[in-house]
Amino acid sequence: MNFRRQMYTVVVFTKLSTRRFFRDRLAQFFSILFPLIFLFVFGSFSSGNNNVSFKVALLDQSKTPFANQFVHQLESKKSSFQVQKDITTMDQAKKKMSKSQIDGIIILPASFGAVQQGQHYPTGKLQLLYNQSSSGTGETMTSVLQGIFNQINNKLTGTQPPFTVDGRTLNEKSLSAFDYTFSGLLGFSIIGLGIFGPVNVFPELKKQGILRRLHTTPLRTWQYFLATMFSQAITGIVSIIIQFAVAIKVFHLKIDGNYLEILIFTVFSIFLILGLGLAIGGWAKNERQAAPLSNIVVFPMLFLSGTFFPRYLMPEWLQSVTNYLPLTPVIDGLRLLTTEGKHLIDLGPQIGLMAIWFLVIYTIAFRVFRWE
Amino acid sequence: MPKTPILKVKDLRKVYDGKPAVDGISFEVEKGEIFGILGPNGAGKTTTLEMIETLREIDGGKATVDGIDVATRPNDIKQIIGIQPQTPAFQDKQKLSEIIEMFAAAYGEKVDAKEFLDDVQLGEKANSFAEQLSGGQRQRLSIAAALVHNPKVFFLDEPTTGLDPQARRNLWELIEEVRDRGVTVILTTHYMEEAEQLCDRVAIMDSGKIIALDTPKKLVKQLLSRGFKKEQVVEQANLEDVFIDLTGKGLRGES
Repeated sequence: MNFRRQMYTVVVFTKLSTRRFFRDRLAQFFSILFPLIFLFVFGSFSSGNNNVSFKVALLDQSKTPFANQFVHQLESKKSSFQVQKDITTMDQAKKKMSKSQIDGIIILPASFGAVQQGQHYPTGKLQLLYNQSSSGTGETMTSVLQGIFNQINNKLTGTQPPFTVDGRTLNEKSLSAFDYTFSGLLGFSIIGLGIFGPVNVFPELKKQGILRRLHTTPLRTWQYFLATMFSQAITGIVSIIIQFAVAIKVFHLKIDGNYLEILIFTVFSIFLILGLGLAIGGWAKNERQAAPLSNIVVFPMLFLSGTFFPRYLMPEWLQSVTNYLPLTPVIDGLRLLTTEGKHLIDLGPQIGLMAIWFLVIYTIAFRVFRWE
Repeated sequence: MPKTPILKVKDLRKVYDGKPAVDGISFEVEKGEIFGILGPNGAGKTTTLEMIETLREIDGGKATVDGIDVATRPNDIKQIIGIQPQTPAFQDKQKLSEIIEMFAAAYGEKVDAKEFLDDVQLGEKANSFAEQLSGGQRQRLSIAAALVHNPKVFFLDEPTTGLDPQARRNLWELIEEVRDRGVTVILTTHYMEEAEQLCDRVAIMDSGKIIALDTPKKLVKQLLSRGFKKEQVVEQANLEDVFIDLTGKGLRGES
């Protein structure tokens, strides 16, 4: 057969297996919905980290207008405190705090905000209780409250303090926790697509003799691999576009990069990781061989390549080892391209490492592939 | 009539774990024949087919299809043979027409799927999924899929095992139609009546060897000439004839 006819074979196989994917609810669940669930779970964890806020119980024993206003201010959305309104007594509050469900208890004594004799403005002393074990949080809350009072004091007394602090946020190019989480989750969904897909499907196809039947035709291994790679790339892109859309809409991910470059890099990443799935699923005669081997390959990558928590949290020596896992350059590269404003041309180390892995993995996959 | 063998097998051998599964068999199949390989389970029928189909390595001897050596040119063999496996299976969520399209594409060809499905009476099911088919329908789909590239030789491994009598008879007709188109058919079976009805010649295998090879009629004659007599008087009909008479020849489970 000449090359054009061989490529026609690849095109038809790609088309048909992609079509099959869009009819298969289960496959869609695992490659589209499943990563989305993780995105929502981990996304809401890490996006909350951006704004520090304290959970407090507020016990207002004062009835003065000033106290009312102050409570109102604490309960407002802009405040750094999340007032737990369901807590109304000291006993409840202490119980919650002993379980670390709240960070502190704010008490406004009866005299809080009353205008004392001989003065023309309200005064008072707020009490803040916090656990000894979280004194850092306590001190932060104290200074936040002190800051609020300083502003009020200045207004009331009309004096201008000689020294003040002007704190401003510097958001340029700084990465939020979600940026790390998101590229990790993309890596996770690429693993789901590329490894769990073939590892589950191939042994089943072998069991039913479907691959064997195909082997009686002139279909070659490389044609079958290529068709699998193309259709996985198509379904993978669909899944990843949906995740990007959710990340941008729901978690306010700011893309600082070029979509075409992200697309090219993603496709290469899918090819690379799929190679592992093709090697394992293609080698295994049945599920009993496939399952343990895929776990041995997948779990180290899931935990050490920065999928669920960033690699910078790991000790130095572990980072230097995990640098070389196949998934690490995928996740790093995705983050660099999406949120760090880097371009493909800046990704030499990542793409180089991926290319080496690509050659190694596909050489193995071709050698060990079995049609039955 | 000058004989033109399309399949030549000479001293073919396959060894599993030191035991011969196929023990030096030789036979030839003529162009346009329906050739049956009979034998009990484990006789080596399937292994023989699989070696000729390039699926198993040949441990000894030689097989050629249309003059092409199986061992040295497996990819050329694949182009001229069609194969019906023992239990045809297809991927779920795939339409019949797509399955035909896929098999044709495996040979680098583009075909009219509807036409091939019509040939096996599945034209109306072109848009159904493979998992919705009955056993007999799946066998017919598999036959259609095996013929998309116009093979010269068609191998069927126990095609009627597990089918009801109606579906079996229907499949026999289909196999005869295929033969009438000029395709040489080689099948294995352990139904004697199937071999008698369908096959021009049969080879009987046991323990990896061919122990008899001739037309069904001649084999019976040889047996009778050795003085064999059935204990009972042969009835003019048997239970299967009763069954078919009562239930008709129409295919079931086709609605």
